[in-house]
Amino acid sequence: MISISHAINTNRLLADLPSAEQAALAACCEVVPLAFGEVLYQPTDTVTYAYFPINSFVSNIVILNNDSRLEVTMAGLEGMLGIALVLGFNKAPLLAVVQGAGVALRIPASQFQALLPTSPALHQRLMRYLYIVMNQLANSAACIHFHRIEERLARWLLMTQDRAQSDHLQLTHEFLAMMLGVRRAGITLAALALQQRGLISYHRGDIIILDRSGLVAAACQCYTQDCALYANAMATP
Amino acid sequence: MLQTRHFQQNALLGLLPEKELEHLLPHLEEVSLTLGQSLSESGRHMSHVYFPLDAIVSLLCVMENGDSTEIAVVGHEGLVGVSQFMGGETTLTSAIVQSAGQAYRLKSHLLKREFDRAGTMQRLLLRYTQALLTQMAQTAVCNRHHSLDQQLCRWLLLSLDRLPGNELIMTQELIANMLGVRREGVTESAGKLQKAGLISYNRGHITVLDRQGLEDRVCECYAGVKNEYDRLLKYPAVTVAC
Repeated sequence: MISISHAINTNRLLADLPSAEQAALAACCEVVPLAFGEVLYQPTDTVTYAYFPINSFVSNIVILNNDSRLEVTMAGLEGMLGIALVLGFNKAPLLAVVQGAGVALRIPASQFQALLPTSPALHQRLMRYLYIVMNQLANSAACIHFHRIEERLARWLLMTQDRAQSDHLQLTHEFLAMMLGVRRAGITLAALALQQRGLISYHRGDIIILDRSGLVAAACQCYTQDCALYANAMATP
Repeated sequence: MLQTRHFQQNALLGLLPEKELEHLLPHLEEVSLTLGQSLSESGRHMSHVYFPLDAIVSLLCVMENGDSTEIAVVGHEGLVGVSQFMGGETTLTSAIVQSAGQAYRLKSHLLKREFDRAGTMQRLLLRYTQALLTQMAQTAVCNRHHSLDQQLCRWLLLSLDRLPGNELIMTQELIANMLGVRREGVTESAGKLQKAGLISYNRGHITVLDRQGLEDRVCECYAGVKNEYDRLLKYPAVTVAC
C-alpha cells in the first residue's frame, strides 16, 4: 500500500496545500483500500468518514422509491466524498458506491471538521470543489435531459478513464444502464455504435478505449466543459 | 423594527443574529424583479447576489443550442448567486425571474467578505447550499424518470411554497423552458390538471385551486426537496462559533 505522503500528493485537492496543512492532515488520516461495489454512504446515513480517492473512484447516485437509480456525479483523484461535512451536516444525501477499486485517504468526520477552521488553504480548495460539483450537477441535469445515450455513454467512459487512469474498464451493460438511467437495450445499441466507429472494443463487460480523441468528439460538449470548469476553478488565485 | 421584519421575509437574512445583520443592512438594496428578467447569464461575472422576498428565480442550465432546463428554484428561503462565496468567478447557470416581486441585492464581493468572517452567515450559506445540491440532484433524476404531469405538479408546488398567494403569473412558454419540453406538452399537462379541478389557467394566470390534489399526484421528488429545506430552516443557526 502507498504511503500517506504519496497519497496526499496524488489527490488533486490536497497536492498543493502548504506543508503545515498537509502535516495536520497526515496526522489524522489513513490509506484504506476501497473494493468495487463497496457502499461508502447510504442516503440519510451518518457520514463517519471523509474520503479523498487516490486511484479509486466513486459514483454519487440518487435512488427513487421504485429503486430506479441515476448517477449524478463522480469523484476520483480530482475530488472527495463527504462534502456534507464541509457544508456542516453529517447526513449523506446520496448513495456513494465505489466504481473503481483502489485506495483512498480516509479521515474520521469529527477530525476532518475540526481541521477545516485551522486549514484555510484546504477550506478554500474545498469551496472551489463545491463550486465545481454544483456546476457539474447542474450540467448533468441538462445533459441527462437533452443528450443522446451514445453521447452520454462516450462522456461517461471518458470520465471513468480519467479517474481509473487506465484504458481498460470492466463494466456490465446492466451497470451502465443504471448509471445513465436508461434501459439496457439502449446501452447495447450505444456501445455497439461506438464499437463500430472503432472508438472502443466491448466484450462481455470488458471495455477497452481504443481512440480517446475520437471518443471526445463523439461525446457531448459536457465532457470538455467539465474539464475546463475544473481547470479554471482550481487555477483561479 | 418594521424594517427588520421586512428583511426577515428572506429566511437566510431572518436567521442572522442582529450583529451580523448590522454589517449587511447598509449594503442591502431593495429591488423590484420583473417576470423574465435575467439576473445572471452563463459564463458572465455576477456583480450582485439576490435575496428574494416574494420574487421567485429559476436557475437554468442552457445548452449551446439554446435548449434549457431548470435545475433549481430560489425564493424567500434562499439566495441567488451561491457560486460567489465559493470563489467561482463566473456561473454556469442562468438565473431568470419566474415570478415578479421584491428582493434585496448585495454586491458579490460583500457577500464573500461576510462569508469569510466564518460566522453564522457562513454556516447558513453552506447549509443552504446543501439544500440546493439536493434539489439539483432530485431535479436531474425527476427529469429522467418521471412523467411531465408529475414534473408540472412538482414545479407548481415548489413555486406555490415560495408565493404569498395561490396565483402564479406565468406563460406556458416559460414553463416549457423551465421543464425543458415543448409548449404543446405543457398545454396538455396543464389541461389535465385544469380538467381535474386542481388549477385554473387563464391568459398567463395560473391559480392553484386544490393544493392537496397536486400533492396527491406529484412524484416523491417534491417531498424530498421540501424536507431538505424544512430541515435547513429549522436548524438552529445562531450557535456560538467554537
